Amino acid sequence: MYNRYDIFDDLLGLKGEIEKFFTDNPQPGRRYDHPYVNVYESGDSIQVRALVPGVKPEDVDIQLVDNNLVIEGEKKSDYSERPYIRKERSFGRFKKSIRMPFRVDPGRINATIKNGILTVALVKSEDAKPRKITIG
Amino acid sequence: MTTELRKLNNREEVVLVPPVDIYETGEAYILKCEMPGVDRENIDVTLNNHELEINGRVSAEYAGDAGTVYSEYRLHNFSRKFTVDDSINTGAIQATLYNGILSITLPKSEKVKPRKIEIAMEK
Repeated sequence: MYNRYDIFDDLLGLKGEIEKFFTDNPQPGRRYDHPYVNVYESGDSIQVRALVPGVKPEDVDIQLVDNNLVIEGEKKSDYSERPYIRKERSFGRFKKSIRMPFRVDPGRINATIKNGILTVALVKSEDAKPRKITIG
Repeated sequence: MTTELRKLNNREEVVLVPPVDIYETGEAYILKCEMPGVDRENIDVTLNNHELEINGRVSAEYAGDAGTVYSEYRLHNFSRKFTVDDSINTGAIQATLYNGILSITLPKSEKVKPRKIEIAMEK
């Protein structure tokens, strides 16, 4: 059966659209926890780079927990008691867990902070590498 | 038409606007600007006709996206402009970079600095 076109159907349809706008959960935007991280992979090594401008190396704690890299720390406030003209930066504690794409060697993790970027270099663990099994 | 638009689009480089705090002391305005991934020698601070311009070029090691398997940010060059007035002593501006934070000190010129007024003795 064909539907008969009626302009009021469109109007009522619009009402539905508007209601949907208010009732549906808004699409969660691309909001990530601080600090923002990128993960790079090349061969057997992984590099995690996090944006941590203003964070001192001694205020960052990195752990490998169950193949998750956990970055925890604090961006200490450098606010002064002076009157502010503009205040756009944010401070505070952060904790973030990043799942590694493969098992990593806990003994070979290197972390450095340079120009406000934390770089953590990890290497694939030996027992995660493919192994040839000879048939006896 | 479309090729022209594309050309125009290519020319427009993506830049990031770095977050900035500015506060005022008796002696100066202090500006703190977050620019992660920028080396000291790749930062340009210029003052021209009451316009303070900050430009920072992101190091090549952070700009590429080769081998990315997960991404929450993309670094681009940073750029920001501020208008300053005559109250700045333009000859004595200082800038330092520490851990991705660029700090700029804009000293106030003598005529706008707070000044202690001596009270003359009663005769």
